[in-house]
Amino acid sequence: MPIRNIVYRHLEHGGDLTALSDYEASGGWKALETATAHMERDDVLYALHRSVLRGRGGAGFPMGRKASFIPKDAEKPVYVVCNADESEPGTFKDRAIMEHNPFQLLEGIALAGYAIRSRHGYIYIRGEYEHQARALDRALEAAYSAGHLGPDAHGPGEPFDITLHRGAGAYICGEETGLLESLEGKRGQPRLKPPFPAVAGLWESPTLINNVETLASVPPIIEHGADWWAQMGTEKSTGVKIFSVSGHVMRPGNYEIVLHDTSLRELIYDICGGFRPGRDFKACWVGGSSVPVLTKEHLDVALDYESLQAAGTFLGSAGCIVMDDSECIVRATLRLAEFYRHESCGKCSPCREGTMWMVKLLDRLVNGEGRPEDVDLLLKVSGRIQGRVLCALADGAVAPIASAVHLFPDEFAEVARNGSPPPTPMIESTAGAAA
Amino acid sequence: MNADQVNAYLAPLRDRYPESRALILPALKYAQTEKGWLDLEDLEAVAEATGLTSAYVESVASFYDRLYLRPTGRRIVSVCVTLSCMLRGSDQLYARLCDLEGLPPEGGTSEDGGVTIQTAQCLGYCDKAPCVQVDVDETEGPVLPDEAEEFLAKVRAAAQPTEVWR
Amino acid sequence: MTDYAPVDLERGEQVEFDLNGRRVHAPPGTMLVDAAHANGVEIPIFCYEPRIGPPLGACRMCLVEVEGMRGLQTACSTPVSQDMVVHTKSDLAVDGQDGVLELILANHPLDCPVCDKGGECPLQDRTFRFGPGDSRFLEHKRHFPKPLDLSSLIALDRERCISCFRCVRFSQEVAEDGLLTFQERGGDSEITTFTGGAYEGRFTGNIVDICPVGALTSIPYRFVARPWDVTNTESVCGTCPVGCNVELTTREGRVQRVSGREDPNWIHEEGWLCDKCRYAFPAAWSPDRLTTPLIRDGGTTREVSIEEAVAAASVLLARENARPGIVVGPEATVEEGFLAQKIAAASGDAPIQQLGIPAATLAPIRALPPAELADLDGAPLIVEVGGDPANQQAIVELRIRKALRHGARLVMVGSRPHALTGLGEWHETAPGQIAETVGRLADDIKGTEGVIFVWDEQSLAQEPDAVPVLAELMAEVENAKQLELGAHINGAGLRALGLPADGVLEAAEAGDIGTLVCLLADPLSAPGASRWDAALGKTGPLVVIATHASELTDAANVVIPASMATEHEGTLVSMNGRAQRLRPGQEPPDGAAPGWQILVAIAHRLHTDVARSPSTILRTAVTERSALTGLSYKEMGRLGMRLRRPSPASANGAHAPREPAGEGLRLVTTRRIFGDGFAARSDALEHVRQPADVVISPAEASRLGLEDGDRARLVSEHGECVLPVRVSEAHQDGVAFAAVGVPGAGVERLLPADDGPVRVQLSRA
Repeated sequence: MPIRNIVYRHLEHGGDLTALSDYEASGGWKALETATAHMERDDVLYALHRSVLRGRGGAGFPMGRKASFIPKDAEKPVYVVCNADESEPGTFKDRAIMEHNPFQLLEGIALAGYAIRSRHGYIYIRGEYEHQARALDRALEAAYSAGHLGPDAHGPGEPFDITLHRGAGAYICGEETGLLESLEGKRGQPRLKPPFPAVAGLWESPTLINNVETLASVPPIIEHGADWWAQMGTEKSTGVKIFSVSGHVMRPGNYEIVLHDTSLRELIYDICGGFRPGRDFKACWVGGSSVPVLTKEHLDVALDYESLQAAGTFLGSAGCIVMDDSECIVRATLRLAEFYRHESCGKCSPCREGTMWMVKLLDRLVNGEGRPEDVDLLLKVSGRIQGRVLCALADGAVAPIASAVHLFPDEFAEVARNGSPPPTPMIESTAGAAA
Repeated sequence: MNADQVNAYLAPLRDRYPESRALILPALKYAQTEKGWLDLEDLEAVAEATGLTSAYVESVASFYDRLYLRPTGRRIVSVCVTLSCMLRGSDQLYARLCDLEGLPPEGGTSEDGGVTIQTAQCLGYCDKAPCVQVDVDETEGPVLPDEAEEFLAKVRAAAQPTEVWR
Repeated sequence: MTDYAPVDLERGEQVEFDLNGRRVHAPPGTMLVDAAHANGVEIPIFCYEPRIGPPLGACRMCLVEVEGMRGLQTACSTPVSQDMVVHTKSDLAVDGQDGVLELILANHPLDCPVCDKGGECPLQDRTFRFGPGDSRFLEHKRHFPKPLDLSSLIALDRERCISCFRCVRFSQEVAEDGLLTFQERGGDSEITTFTGGAYEGRFTGNIVDICPVGALTSIPYRFVARPWDVTNTESVCGTCPVGCNVELTTREGRVQRVSGREDPNWIHEEGWLCDKCRYAFPAAWSPDRLTTPLIRDGGTTREVSIEEAVAAASVLLARENARPGIVVGPEATVEEGFLAQKIAAASGDAPIQQLGIPAATLAPIRALPPAELADLDGAPLIVEVGGDPANQQAIVELRIRKALRHGARLVMVGSRPHALTGLGEWHETAPGQIAETVGRLADDIKGTEGVIFVWDEQSLAQEPDAVPVLAELMAEVENAKQLELGAHINGAGLRALGLPADGVLEAAEAGDIGTLVCLLADPLSAPGASRWDAALGKTGPLVVIATHASELTDAANVVIPASMATEHEGTLVSMNGRAQRLRPGQEPPDGAAPGWQILVAIAHRLHTDVARSPSTILRTAVTERSALTGLSYKEMGRLGMRLRRPSPASANGAHAPREPAGEGLRLVTTRRIFGDGFAARSDALEHVRQPADVVISPAEASRLGLEDGDRARLVSEHGECVLPVRVSEAHQDGVAFAAVGVPGAGVERLLPADDGPVRVQLSRA
């Protein structure tokens, strides 16, 4: 079985590590203790660098490199910010970390803070995750009481604090600069880059922003060593990665696997139990909804950054939405388009107007009010958005649309003529199999 | 809610942030717990407590889906309708819920003010599709269309919490 | 609207780069939009507004191709660098620009035929030059019920808004009033105020100028004119001593709009205007505007022609034992002041004075290097001494706010809390304590190089003992500059002519004045009004050249209606010494004439040889008044020129503290931005007008038995008046704060003629 629970340490320890003593008994906080007692800050930074741990939020930028952009002699305070605004459709991996293994995240944040000479970390958690936020509240209280956080967290007299900050419902606050704006008390509209957060982030201070899973990967890397992590997977896709699988599969859930060792086919069929009888694979958005769609011909792609990119998509957040042949690709695409229209912040015009226009076009197609030329127009409109916007949201909106038009031309043409067939959703009670 | 109440809530948070502007979201979320939505007095109280203008506070509040600037039902039922949930019948569930409450397809608040039914974008419980969240209680799923009536009965039977976090 | 920042291609370091195949240069770090513009290439923009702050990158209109960079770049946020290769017209760049416009227009109503902006609309222009030939958007556009009034002055048409953020950023980041915001998210975003609130403030009209579409329009200008049947005239605002550079829009002979210039005076107002400046122009046709020359003889009043009135005035001046005296008001131009001097000289060296503040004690500061408003931008430390710039020289407030955003430190010394006092180090002083306070701060201040001292004319004239303290401190600071907060519109210009601020009053009181001429001067509503009132009883015939009716014109023997600043040529000198040209945007009403023409006519009847046009009058003045050396209309050009700095004068012990006689509270006055004759007479400003009142601290209120809203009688040794009371915790004890300038309120009757310190006793009226 290719499952390897490293970030999901709790699954190796009875499914839950929300009691501090349990986390400590599982080896928790050892990494931070070791690092602060025996490692220079730069050694931790270097370990992150050598591990080639890539950001798990979606962009896949190497964390060690990002951290190395933080100036070492900053005049202003340096911050580490944990992006817990998990809102990418199909993605629910961070939820389980915060709910069942919160201390590993706190430890990871403290380690990242140690590496970049920060004394204060913030966790920005999406407003809908109040249940998880309360789990973090409890974990924070326990970690402070035990002295893992607070005045001596980074060694005697070397404080480190973590503040939990709750969002209030806006996908764009998962975009790193949108998050910073929101955390500062503004509308969560992304900032023009440069300057990048590492130079001028939170309150214009050098800021390291990483996703929950990324930061929760740090303690095992420090504990077992960068080489241990890096020898898993490939040169550029190291370590383990959690895939959230949802949609038409029989066993939706979170699965932590070693990168590259598993194919998409194995993930869908072996791990997630495949499809209902009589149904077959049709499409998959493997990296969340902001990536190009994959079809049957891609089933044997290995699940790692490079292979997926070669297949024309991205690993993204690894929120793998799987669809069988019961659903219309145009309707599914419209549903994603509606998400982006709803979540567009409104700051830059191509995104604000373009997501609206694409929804209107797709809506007409689905409802049988399309014209044959609308499919081409949809592509042209998306071409005028992609690469011309302020942040990644609209590029993410375009990716599944343009790819669907390219990969399912006949179905789009048919829908343009006759509209989508009536929906036939899979209505079954199948609880998640994993965490 | 008045500025003193908001200030009392914010007091232990203030030293966590270098600027009081950052307290806007915590303040708004807290001000909303009184009745589940924010009226102009609430916005003014947050403005006073954070030192920003009321217009600014309202502008920030209006950006977020989970801050309500108009009256709502005692409980808010958010039905995720994003792709993973759609594939597993969220549209049918949502339609059934609206139907049971006598609401139009776009949802809204039931006539007796008991519940507000609304669509939500991905709630992060795609493994439990179709999923539903009541206020900020833990999201539940799968809730099948056939279970809608039972689900609503349960929601209506539970009293509104004293602090209405949304 | 001002789209591109000025770029200096001549001086300083330059980098070379390729622009559409041409080798050009610009200073390193210049944003590509500005560098291209300076080199004759237009890159279209909407959200970029260099005056607001750093680029936002929101509209994406300025997409260009930069070799070596992937895809398209926003030229507003891409600084030029050596050997950069830029294409603004390549297929990719054109597709980017065309594409953004197509998307922006997707939801724009294209109701240009009924839009006020049509014909001068950046969206229209850029669609024409950079946009798609036709729209492929067949869907329903968003629709809103017709315009909302953001205030009594500004309407918002939400359909037309393209969400460029300029107006909202102006409110949040330039005026910093925080009142105008975006609400909702994404395609539902719209500009709005707090529910139920209005966008009211001192600078709101600027959002109309910067709106690149017809979403924000000026209510007084709505549906008044189309751009092709108007003429625009560059002129200067004549409503306060700052002298902001403006553009007058004229249709059918009337000024219909005052706006910031498209190419503004960057070192002065940089194109921002206050709402008084912008909306005062309708005062030209207020009901009390004088349009009929009058002669009063005994009990009878005759309406006469302007020629007859001029002839009558001339007779009164020339007749035997006329013993004339001339009073010149602050709105008089340099040319008018000079002509008045010529007439005085021709009338046996008759006494002449302006209604202003005596200059002698202030000379040591005025002799120090003056600052342009733009110097504030980079000042490390601004020291403000006295005054209330937010009300009296409003645009200075914006510039100080900008300096603070740039990191300046602001130290303020004064008695009256004002809009800026919360933004810096505020050293509240009791009246009379400036010298001591400044002395106390001197050590802290003098360590900083390049301090700008912003000082208030009236405050320092009232506290002459502070002048040497301040002057010495300034001398000790390296590269210090001073910026005067002047009290009177053309006070600096009249001072340059050598017009004193006294003489006529004293002569009148001594019974030495026969014919009194008031040129754009109303001594009955100026400081010393009580003394003037009494003195007028001892003078002979009264000749009044004025724009609006008043008690004075009611009493005059000859009334000659004169033009306003929007109606005549002339020169005004700003409080910081910039001579700038007034150009008329409209004719004066029938029955009125430009002041200079009236004066020329009088001079000729007195057989005095004076030039016959404003430019030649100025030329003569320049040869005869050394302070004007070098000045000419040509030299002033579009943006004006700086007058020579006055040479240092010794004030010879005139620096003793002034302690007002009498008992009671010290009176501190200000002129509120919407509390003067311009606001009172402009119907556009009807809803923002500020009444006169007296503000006291709660302690004083309880001591005096007064409450908020009571009416109080104020009595000084000079006179008395009655004002509503406002109680304010922000104001110090021991002082009464009153607003001057409100027509009819009579606060000036409390004041001495030199606007010096005074005490008042308050009691319930």
